[in-house]
Amino acid sequence: MPKKKFNTPKLANWLAAKCINKMYLEEFLGDLQEIYEDRMLVKGKRYARFMYWIDALHLLIGFSSFSLFKTQSNNTMMIKNMFKIAWRNAIRQKQFTVLNLLGLMIGISISLTIGLFIHYETTYDTFLPEIERVYRVNQPNIWTDWTSQMSNTGPNVAVALREEVPEFEEVTRIMSLGSQITNYKAEAKKDKSFEESAFFAVENNFFEVFPFEFSEGNPKTAIEAPNSIVLTQSTAERYFGYESAIGKTLEVKQWDNTWQSFVVTGVLVDVPSKSHLQFDVLVSLNSYQSQMDRDGWKWIWTAFGTYAKVNDGTNMAALSDKIQAIPPKYAPATTERIFNQSFEEFTAGNPWKLTLQPVKEIYLSEEPPYNAFGPVGNPQFVKVFMAIGILVLVLSCINFMNLSTARSSNRAKEVGIRKVLGSERGTLIKQFIFESTLFVAVSTVAALFIVNSSLGWFNAISGKELLLTPYLSQPVFIAVLLVFVLLLGFISGSYPAFYLSSFKPIQVLKGKMSAGFKGKGIRNGLVVFQFTISMTLIICTFFVQKQLNYTSNLDLGFAKENVLQIGNIEQIGFDTERLKTELAAMPAFTKVGKSFGVPPYVDSGDRYKSTEPEAPVVALSNLRVEADYLDVLGLEFLAGRNFDQALTTDQYKVILNEEAVKVLGWRGDDPTSAVGEFVALASGSEDKFEVIGVVKDFNFASVRQEIAPLIFINIDNNKVWDYGAGLSFYSMRLNPQVVASPEDLQAVLDRVEASIKAVDATIPFEYSFLDQEFESTFQEESRMSLVLNIFTVLALIIACLGLFGLAAFSAEQRLKELGIRKVLGARISELVMLFSSEFTKLFLIAMLLASPIAYFLVDQWLSDFANRTPIHIWVFAVSTVGTLAIAIATISYQSLRAAHKNPVDTLRSE
Amino acid sequence: MKNKGLGEFEELVLLAVCILKGEAYGINVKQEVEKHSGRSILLGAVHITLYRLQDKGLLKSEMGGNTEKRGDRRKRLFEITPSGMRQLEAAQDVRQKMWQLIPQLNAGH
Repeated sequence: MPKKKFNTPKLANWLAAKCINKMYLEEFLGDLQEIYEDRMLVKGKRYARFMYWIDALHLLIGFSSFSLFKTQSNNTMMIKNMFKIAWRNAIRQKQFTVLNLLGLMIGISISLTIGLFIHYETTYDTFLPEIERVYRVNQPNIWTDWTSQMSNTGPNVAVALREEVPEFEEVTRIMSLGSQITNYKAEAKKDKSFEESAFFAVENNFFEVFPFEFSEGNPKTAIEAPNSIVLTQSTAERYFGYESAIGKTLEVKQWDNTWQSFVVTGVLVDVPSKSHLQFDVLVSLNSYQSQMDRDGWKWIWTAFGTYAKVNDGTNMAALSDKIQAIPPKYAPATTERIFNQSFEEFTAGNPWKLTLQPVKEIYLSEEPPYNAFGPVGNPQFVKVFMAIGILVLVLSCINFMNLSTARSSNRAKEVGIRKVLGSERGTLIKQFIFESTLFVAVSTVAALFIVNSSLGWFNAISGKELLLTPYLSQPVFIAVLLVFVLLLGFISGSYPAFYLSSFKPIQVLKGKMSAGFKGKGIRNGLVVFQFTISMTLIICTFFVQKQLNYTSNLDLGFAKENVLQIGNIEQIGFDTERLKTELAAMPAFTKVGKSFGVPPYVDSGDRYKSTEPEAPVVALSNLRVEADYLDVLGLEFLAGRNFDQALTTDQYKVILNEEAVKVLGWRGDDPTSAVGEFVALASGSEDKFEVIGVVKDFNFASVRQEIAPLIFINIDNNKVWDYGAGLSFYSMRLNPQVVASPEDLQAVLDRVEASIKAVDATIPFEYSFLDQEFESTFQEESRMSLVLNIFTVLALIIACLGLFGLAAFSAEQRLKELGIRKVLGARISELVMLFSSEFTKLFLIAMLLASPIAYFLVDQWLSDFANRTPIHIWVFAVSTVGTLAIAIATISYQSLRAAHKNPVDTLRSE
Repeated sequence: MKNKGLGEFEELVLLAVCILKGEAYGINVKQEVEKHSGRSILLGAVHITLYRLQDKGLLKSEMGGNTEKRGDRRKRLFEITPSGMRQLEAAQDVRQKMWQLIPQLNAGH
């Protein structure tokens, strides 16, 4: 064998070898390869592969029509004959053909789209070489109840792993630095300044673990020195245009308003969208070494993603056991120093278990729920869509079976004659399966076109980036498609094939057998099955929609409408009073208040206890606010009072929500019991804070979750460690009388922006609306529910297509019966009723089956939500009546036509 | 089958084989025809035509000339037969005669 420099598509070669006469194979393959190489050099691999396929298929088809190249065996003759008969039947019964093709086309398009979606979602991070050896280190959520997992660890987990575990080839840490203002001082040009929101600090072995592709620079050394920065291609172009970025200097604004310089040492090809790490900028983590040394919370500064690459052939089970010894050995130093608690006290007896999670599984895992560095997928969607894809496929197969058996009376004579002429049963079965495979093949090709042209639209709705064309040149995909066609053709053709071929020639040819009615039981069963699926889908989508509406209209416990929020206030520094005065003076605002964090993103939290003896240590979310902010939200005080800005003594006072009162150990039913009491940080500091008020519980996080305990800390409280740190916001309640139109709103926004720019022109103006922020926590669900709705409608259309065909058939069968009834005096309405009642029975059975199934599924789904919409009976009723109406409308065309026929015509001939 | 005349595409392929003079095989015939006619042609179409012409006795062929580029496979080299040449000439003659009979073209002389 000569060494192959160019790999031609193997599958095409195999096909050619099977179909083309050996005498000519050599020259064909030679020609194909030669032209393939030319094309590859000129137009690239994808084009060459695509054209290779076209040419190969063309040769195959071309040569089968030319007698010289046909192996003149019985086989090809038979296929030709089968094809001819299939074609004639398809042409003769155009209505059935169209219904069959349409149903299959829709079904296959849906499942193909879903298949692409699932493939996309399940192959995250697989583009990185050797990624199967890379694991993320997860740990229990040490800030809450230790039962859930978190994907971040303290910085020293990695340090300990490096020291203790030689099985790890590399251990690397990533820290997201959030948004950073980055500036490029170009000589003789205007500064270029951007807010970089995907900004990570990484260690110098980052590229050993995650070998992202470099377009400039050396992966081995790029991130080695302090103050190195690596950009992605498009980020680099933003600053430097088409100049080379290497060696240029970027300045990054620090938390204390100074600027730190970084030298560009590398440029990366943009990060593919199918990566769980999404970044634009990487800086060396050792640039922040002094900070890391100073903040000695080595095991509890949970801001780091820890990733480890294991040696080839490591026993993972043994390794997982081995690393469990690390936290008890290393963490106590931290817990004792920071919290004054022993390791056992800190964990409250829970194991501090380090879990190794394969990177490939991160995107679609349920636990841990968050990923600090990029997107997380929703495994539930993947499961639901997979189920829908399969169901829709089943629906269209059933259609095909039903229509084929129903029209069997038309083919009974054909079968009879063929049998009389000596055709074996096997031949007939082959014929029918061949026909169904042909239908599936045609529909699949059509579906490829449909999917290819509708994917853009699917992407727009679902927010994904699916593409069909790259798959088309992959032999595996083509092979899967071929297997799919054969399998589906066989499945949907098998029942009709065995059923039709079982006819007895004498009976059929005597005309005694009304063949169509024989399989009626099975056919009705299949119709019931189809409508059970459709109705279940409809009821489920109904509830998904209902739940989404419910959550977006849910009373959060405060008035979320008309609240404008502006961010980046922390960059102004401590003194923001001037800005506040200016904002408060605007007539558009009724109230202005500052806070560190805004719902639904209250991420900060700490461990507190009440000062009573033996009080439990509990985790509370905390929010630093000034008094006016609580007024902006309009929270209801159940006991006590708000902060008073006039009283300097309020600096160290706190306000709780009801839930916090409960978990801290006071009486939940009597909020006044907490007022005047004291809470302290669990870290054992001397400071204690008096509770001056209790607010009614309100949703400050996603409504998916139960309301958590919350403590409001005065904005000036400098005894809690996060004093002055974190993002801060000004929130303004809009006066709807003043701001009545979009133009008014724009004017207000312009004025606010001007005020901020007047304070500091480098601060990016960012605003949001509180209600929209809450909506956006359900964005993915909303998108997916839209896709779900569309698929449900299409599934219903498939079922209706089948029904339409069956009704047409049934009408044909009963023409004479209806004719006689008419002659005997039946009215048209009676005939239509008679005709419809046959199908109505089936729907009622389907509804009886679908309702409990749907109830079960909906109940399961809703159990994930803290706030769930009630399961009303009327939804079931409406869905049933709706489906019934659609179904009756579908058959009414046929029933009316049959009932209106002149009995003379239908009864004339016998 | 003998005197049915040549199809237009057959004629182009025959001419290309003549031009390539013993070196003609699938790909360079395709390229030659593409070059002169300016249209893009599928490889399979060329092959089918070459074999049909051979079947009609207008071309003859032998295997030869393997190169590494083709994965060490030989190619089938085509050559025109005397009867092929006659067909081409006959086709040319027919055209020539008909052209001469077009009145507009002759009116100027």
